[in-house]
Amino acid sequence: MNRAGRKVFCLATAIFLAAFQISCQRPLSNVESGNRDQVLHLGNGTEPQGLDPHIVTGVPEHNILSALLEGLVTEDPKTLQPQPGAAESWTISPDGLVYTFRLRKNARWSNGDAHTAQDYVYSFRRILNPALGAQYAYMLHVLRGARAFNEGKSKVAWETVGVEALDDHTLRLTLEHPTPYFLELLNHYSFWPVHPGTIERFGAFEKRGTPWTRPGNFVGNGAFVLHEWRVNSRIIATPNPHYWGAANVALKAIHFYPIDSADTEERAYRSGFIHRTQTVPIHRIDDLRERRPGEIKFETYLGTYFYRLNVTKKPLDDARVRRALALSVDRAGLVSNITRGGQQPAFHFCPPGTGGFTAGVGLKYDVEEAKRLIADYLKATGQSRVPPIEILYNTSESHKVIAEAIQGMWRDKLGLDVKLLNQEWKVYLDSVMQANYLTSRAGWIGDYNDPNTFLDMWLTDGGNNNTGWTHARYDELIRQASRAPDIAARLACFREAEEILAREVPVVPLYFYVNVTMRHPSVQGWHPNVLDHHPYQHVRLKAP
Amino acid sequence: MSTATPTTPAPEGASLWHDAWLRLRQNRMAVAGFVIFAGITLLCLFGPTFFTRHAYDKTQLEAHFKNPDATHWFGTDALGRDVFIRVLKGGQISLAVGFLATAVSILIGVTYGACSGYVGGKLDALMMRAVDILYSLPFTIFVILLMVIFGRNFILLFIAIGAVEWLTMARIVRGQVLVLKHAEFVEAARALGYSTPRILAHHILPNLLGPVIIYATLTVPAVMLLEAVLSFLGLGVQSPMSSWGLLIQEGAEKMDIYPWLLIFPALFFSATLFSLNFIGDGLRDALDPRAAKD
Repeated sequence: MNRAGRKVFCLATAIFLAAFQISCQRPLSNVESGNRDQVLHLGNGTEPQGLDPHIVTGVPEHNILSALLEGLVTEDPKTLQPQPGAAESWTISPDGLVYTFRLRKNARWSNGDAHTAQDYVYSFRRILNPALGAQYAYMLHVLRGARAFNEGKSKVAWETVGVEALDDHTLRLTLEHPTPYFLELLNHYSFWPVHPGTIERFGAFEKRGTPWTRPGNFVGNGAFVLHEWRVNSRIIATPNPHYWGAANVALKAIHFYPIDSADTEERAYRSGFIHRTQTVPIHRIDDLRERRPGEIKFETYLGTYFYRLNVTKKPLDDARVRRALALSVDRAGLVSNITRGGQQPAFHFCPPGTGGFTAGVGLKYDVEEAKRLIADYLKATGQSRVPPIEILYNTSESHKVIAEAIQGMWRDKLGLDVKLLNQEWKVYLDSVMQANYLTSRAGWIGDYNDPNTFLDMWLTDGGNNNTGWTHARYDELIRQASRAPDIAARLACFREAEEILAREVPVVPLYFYVNVTMRHPSVQGWHPNVLDHHPYQHVRLKAP
Repeated sequence: MSTATPTTPAPEGASLWHDAWLRLRQNRMAVAGFVIFAGITLLCLFGPTFFTRHAYDKTQLEAHFKNPDATHWFGTDALGRDVFIRVLKGGQISLAVGFLATAVSILIGVTYGACSGYVGGKLDALMMRAVDILYSLPFTIFVILLMVIFGRNFILLFIAIGAVEWLTMARIVRGQVLVLKHAEFVEAARALGYSTPRILAHHILPNLLGPVIIYATLTVPAVMLLEAVLSFLGLGVQSPMSSWGLLIQEGAEKMDIYPWLLIFPALFFSATLFSLNFIGDGLRDALDPRAAKD
């Protein structure tokens, strides 16, 4: 081989080896590179409905918005106790009606604009404005005069609503009744501020769906800003340099991935694509518990899984049939054999310990009693068979398994003819809203840690009632609770309300949620809590 | 006096069907396919009444995800139901849907295609454009429409699937008829003054059997898959009933942990499809020796 030849040969070998080296090097997974660069990758359920805090209603939206916006009050990541947020301090009048907030002077909007009390007045006015038609506007009805203004009664001036900016940095909120959970309520996104300049620029004061929520347009006051939003692919939030606590924010970015399927999400987690899943497929729980004991998390969650009963349709218009359905469900068997995440069987509606309230046992597992009730019903109505019952659920493997188990119980124990019907999420929501179902599965996650968030659903005009159930005494009790003089009187109202629910059974509570997720050990400062709220400014990544 | 001429018996006319039967019998794969298929069908039809130890809809929550053993031959599913009985029960549905829908599609498709092809001209153009229009309807929307109008009904599933699957059949038959109607034996029949229905029934239809049967054996599995899709969307069979397609779809999600949930229904499903394909193949060779490979 001559010299030139040798040179070419050496070069070729070098190139070959280099190429070999590159091809052998496994690219870093999201989790590995994320741990290095402080980039958090999160599975986030579905594509968010939007990012306008006054419009959205879901959990995936909350997960993103809590990075982008901050309320007057935030919460301790462990205990959920109110902590100073955009307001550095507050005073409460002795009668519990007037809250005066002092805003942080160093707080800024993400575009550098001053952050003032007037912005809150503007935001509250926007969500309460009847023209916007915000579904969650009822959260603000605790403010004095807000309900009348929101319902658009004639000649209700905005000035009558108990929201007032005393100066640039002092905000005074006046309530209708003393509300012990008001500070926690303030941490719900319906109370979060929007940037008036941005809203005005896009004419979004009364209009939904304007592009003000797009990256580049969105102006928030949270620890992060919206950097990128690719529909059905990912949303990226990066730190907000104007955030008052920016010095303490460790993460350099948060990536939210909309992954609908629990199975896909679990695979994404195993391949190191995300740091945390939203859920875990039921049939994998046992396996993951064995193989990844440190990563599968079972955390108490303030939520109830239940079946709505449509009381306007036969045979569910009869309380005996409804009660029989509730009594014949083997909840203990359901949670220990089907859901298997340590869920608690639900014999009443409001999860135990919500805001310090635990209802007495209302329902029980009593097949004999259930059979007797059905026999009574048949005798009283002169029928020989109970009309068929249909269970509606949204298409999902977990809901299906539970529905099949319930179907088996009602069929085997009560001899009922039970059919199943599954519908895609949006069709299902529509059927439930129009009461076009017999029984339908549902879940409710508390918006704040107080029984009211669960029990005010079943008010006659409750926006999420959808069962057609109406009970004068129940309505009275819930309203009475909101103006009760002390905690004991308040809880007594809720206790009686739960008793009515157990007697009348417009819903069949099945179990209290446990949040089952996968979380990578590198995620620090992520504390389990009943609302599954995790302020991202406290989160950091540390490779184990 | 008559010379005794030896009376050789006239050679017995071997009919088309007799010939075909002989040829089919020699095709080992087809015979094996037929045996397996008959076995599976009989097992599915009579199994649930014979093996009464478990019921397909009996849930036993504490016995979920049991490995296959002596009591539960194919193991149990998430609700503790016996997978063996569920596979047989699912087979009843899958086979019923597959064959009834295929029968519907053959009935409509062959009649339609034969008329269209034989009559020809303007009627042909009109009928084929109608097929084109039906083709362009999205199938799922069509089925959802049917469900909205008539409510959820199992019989409807056969009709809906059959009513869509006949389109391709009609096109294939029309193409064949176009070729056949100029064949000499059809010209001869026409010259002899036979009526059009007689020519269609006696001279053209038997010659269509090959392609029709082959296409039918392909339609059966396609229909079974379609049924699984519909059931997944909540338009087909609903729990506690099941079908192979549904069982496979459920099993596939859990295959790395509970493989038996996938293996057994898949085994039955693919064995059926394989044997159907071999039967179809054998029938084609038997009925149309010119097209035989060897």
